[in-house]
Amino acid sequence: MGAATSEPVAAMSPASPPVAGRGAPQGRSRRASLVVHERRFALALLAPALLVLLLITTAPLVYLLWNSVHRIDLSMPWLSGFAGLENYARMGSDPRFWNSLWLTFIYTGSTVVLQVLVGLGLALLVLQIPKGQGILRVAAILPIVLAPVVVGLFWRTLVLAPDVGLVDLVTRALGLGSYNWLGDPQLALISVIAIHTWQWTPFAFLVLLATLSTLPPDIYEAARLDRANAWQRFMHITLPLIRPAIVVVMIMRMMTALSAFAAIFAATGGGPGSATEILNLYAYRTAFSELNIGYGSSLAVVLMAITLGISYFLFRLRRAR
Amino acid sequence: MNPPGNVRLEGVVKQHGAFTALHGIDLEIQPGEFFALLGPSGSGKTTTLRILAGLEPVNGGRVLLDGVDVTDAQPGERDVAMVFQSYALYPHMTVAENIAFPLKMVRTPAAEIERAVNEAAAKVDIAHLLARRPGQLSGGQQQRCALARAIVRKPRLFLLDEPLSNLDAKLRVETRAELRRLQRSLGVTAVYVTHDQEEAMTMADRMAVFMEGRIIQVGTPKSIYLQPANVAVAAFIGTPPMNLLPAQLRDGTAVVAGASVPLRHEGAEARDVILGVRPGDLCIGQTGIPAIVEFVEDLGDSVIVNLQVGEQRLKARRDPQGPPLAEGQPVGLSFAPAAAHVFDRETGLRL
Amino acid sequence: MTASAVARARARRIALWLVAGLLLAVWAFPVLWGLLTSFKTERDVLAYPPVWLFEPTLNNYREVLFGSASIVPNLWSSLVVSTLTTALTMLFAVPAAYALARLNYPGKRGSGFYVLATQMLPPVGLIIPFYLVLQKVGLLDSYSGLTTIYLTFSLPFAIWLLVSYFEDIPYEMEEAALLDRAGRLRTLWYVILPQVRGGIAVTTIFVFLNAWNEFLFAVVLGGNNVRPVTVAMFNFISVEQTQWARLAAGAMLAMAPVIVIGLVAQRHIVKGLTVGAVKGGGRR
Repeated sequence: MGAATSEPVAAMSPASPPVAGRGAPQGRSRRASLVVHERRFALALLAPALLVLLLITTAPLVYLLWNSVHRIDLSMPWLSGFAGLENYARMGSDPRFWNSLWLTFIYTGSTVVLQVLVGLGLALLVLQIPKGQGILRVAAILPIVLAPVVVGLFWRTLVLAPDVGLVDLVTRALGLGSYNWLGDPQLALISVIAIHTWQWTPFAFLVLLATLSTLPPDIYEAARLDRANAWQRFMHITLPLIRPAIVVVMIMRMMTALSAFAAIFAATGGGPGSATEILNLYAYRTAFSELNIGYGSSLAVVLMAITLGISYFLFRLRRAR
Repeated sequence: MNPPGNVRLEGVVKQHGAFTALHGIDLEIQPGEFFALLGPSGSGKTTTLRILAGLEPVNGGRVLLDGVDVTDAQPGERDVAMVFQSYALYPHMTVAENIAFPLKMVRTPAAEIERAVNEAAAKVDIAHLLARRPGQLSGGQQQRCALARAIVRKPRLFLLDEPLSNLDAKLRVETRAELRRLQRSLGVTAVYVTHDQEEAMTMADRMAVFMEGRIIQVGTPKSIYLQPANVAVAAFIGTPPMNLLPAQLRDGTAVVAGASVPLRHEGAEARDVILGVRPGDLCIGQTGIPAIVEFVEDLGDSVIVNLQVGEQRLKARRDPQGPPLAEGQPVGLSFAPAAAHVFDRETGLRL
Repeated sequence: MTASAVARARARRIALWLVAGLLLAVWAFPVLWGLLTSFKTERDVLAYPPVWLFEPTLNNYREVLFGSASIVPNLWSSLVVSTLTTALTMLFAVPAAYALARLNYPGKRGSGFYVLATQMLPPVGLIIPFYLVLQKVGLLDSYSGLTTIYLTFSLPFAIWLLVSYFEDIPYEMEEAALLDRAGRLRTLWYVILPQVRGGIAVTTIFVFLNAWNEFLFAVVLGGNNVRPVTVAMFNFISVEQTQWARLAAGAMLAMAPVIVIGLVAQRHIVKGLTVGAVKGGGRR
């Protein structure tokens, strides 16, 4: 209410000696031109990408959520309408949903663990033959650059197929008989896990090999002098030092495993029955084979929630280190 | 109406959140001066330099170049050139392209660019390296390339951020003289940041000593050396550093460790002081402040004697021709009254 | 060294090399086996015991390229979609990454999180809405429709990878250029971008690879006109029979570009994987 507060502070002391550091009010307008320029430039650069992202990811997401609370069944279009949380409630008593959840858990868990264990083990071994590393890196690239769908098809036909597949040839040659790798429910799950692991272990291998190569050799020499044996050196020096890399690899591999689709689709299509139907595939089948868009959307939302939850948890874990 | 190259800082304040890096800096630099900003790390000297360059905004105060308020001006608008501590050479361009870059940015015609680049390169003696990339140059050559890039557009102010700190010791000493010569020949105002007091002492026309975000003293190196304004400055300037002893001032004498030494001071009241004497001014003899010789460092052209007075450690410098001293030998220290620096013990200020 | 120590060391080396050889075989065999199969006749493929010495034939390739079920239009589809995706992605991602990495503006942290979060969306969650919308707009089975959804995975990924490359440049580069009167835009163009050339190349490679290999989006949102080669693989498999040799030939052709890129740029790719891994994020 006082008149004093209505005057801009800068007008208060135009020519007073600045030694008193009457900085803040004048400073604010000073800084404006330098900082505003940078700000405008930054937003100009960022805005196009952000707008595109908003349009193609956030908007569809909202639409997905919208669909998930509706009854949309293209095979029975007369049933369409708002459904509230009906789709989500239905999941609770849907055995196929729980099956897919369980399979997702097993698939993701086992592939990630296998990739890290095998990748780390191989990296440790290969570290000791520097000459071989070059050609092995080249070989490791091959599985990674192939399209997962091609990998799935390939394994389905040329590797795991009865009579003709490589594995079958080997097992028959060894006298172990013939197995229906993709037709038997348990074997099918093992097969898709093997396929995924085969394709992505080289990634873990390459990253961990690169990380291991950057470890300074003198700490190992010091450890040797301190009479630590190989296992102790691994547990107390190597492992702690590469733990951040391992965590990052696990995060990335987990994301890939949760959204894995093409390889399983190509190899088994989610079958036999629902034996390899991870949540990803279940949502797809529901929406596009059975044409139940509403329920399929809700399944996708659940998968998304799981993915976001896990990644949030893992990132927190990573930052806690 | 000022001659070109005049720099003035008025009450410059800089804050980083709650921390105040500069508490109101006032400074005036004359055209053509080689002015050093000296101080320990974190004292605010580099911040001041960057404010002059326009790379940091200020929270208060003004910056004036040739009487014009440039506080808000963009770095490119100030006609100021800077040599960074890391040189900041553009690694993907050749030396010639690096030097030409500032001219290219103001659309200087190509022929003019070529002439200026050759001239600048010749001045710093890298004309034979114009086709190389920075990655192929030695540290000293990179530094000269950075210099050439700075001088090529004949700026009115030349800023240098510890440009010699990345060079090895011998090269550093050689380059000091070269830099000085270069600045003299160009006649451009130069502001030079360093934490090495020897560098500042040997190169600067005048210098400002920074401590904890404030300028403690401004003057010629000699005047600061002879009359440091406070204990901190006294301890900082000079190699080996000044000896500082707690003492008591009484009737024109200082009482140190029980011994009385005459001073030129005519202080009326007794007070606690800190007595400062440079190593070169300490005389080792029979009488005076009692001390024990700890050990002797023979540098060839001079001898540094490390002494102990009670709990304190002192250094004295003398000719190699003096009488030899043994470790553990008790001696007496004295000095000419005029050579003593007396500081109030509480405030640290010179008396 | 004692004689037994030498012998032990040698045995160890041999064991390691055996493991390496095994690794090589396991990882390289599909490509090699597929290559082998693509030159066999269907009968040779099905023969048991397997035929090692056979008369190679180019029939499969001929059929796959020039026959009735030629995959050449599919190769073309893949090329167009991948190139469009890569070009658009880089166009948007490079400036955005620079802003995120180097400039100060309100909402910087938030925008960083947002870009990261968009990478966490499972593709299945996107195809349902995209399918419905594209159908309404009539953009199903079109290059623009497909490219748009491809951007959902390539744009955030490219931004994140590029940010780490931009962050590697010392900040004084910008300061020196600004003092040299370059201004923000010319600083970016003349000083910063030339220094991230390598990073841009690696990112381009990854974006192209991911786009080329994409399947789910291609099969749901493509159709008869736009059918990338990943979908075309299923041409050779039907309920009645699998055309083994032709499938192998088709797969070889479909994967030829990515294999070539992978072999030629392998050092870059490995570096890119490790960079991406260290800084977090990324689909692959």
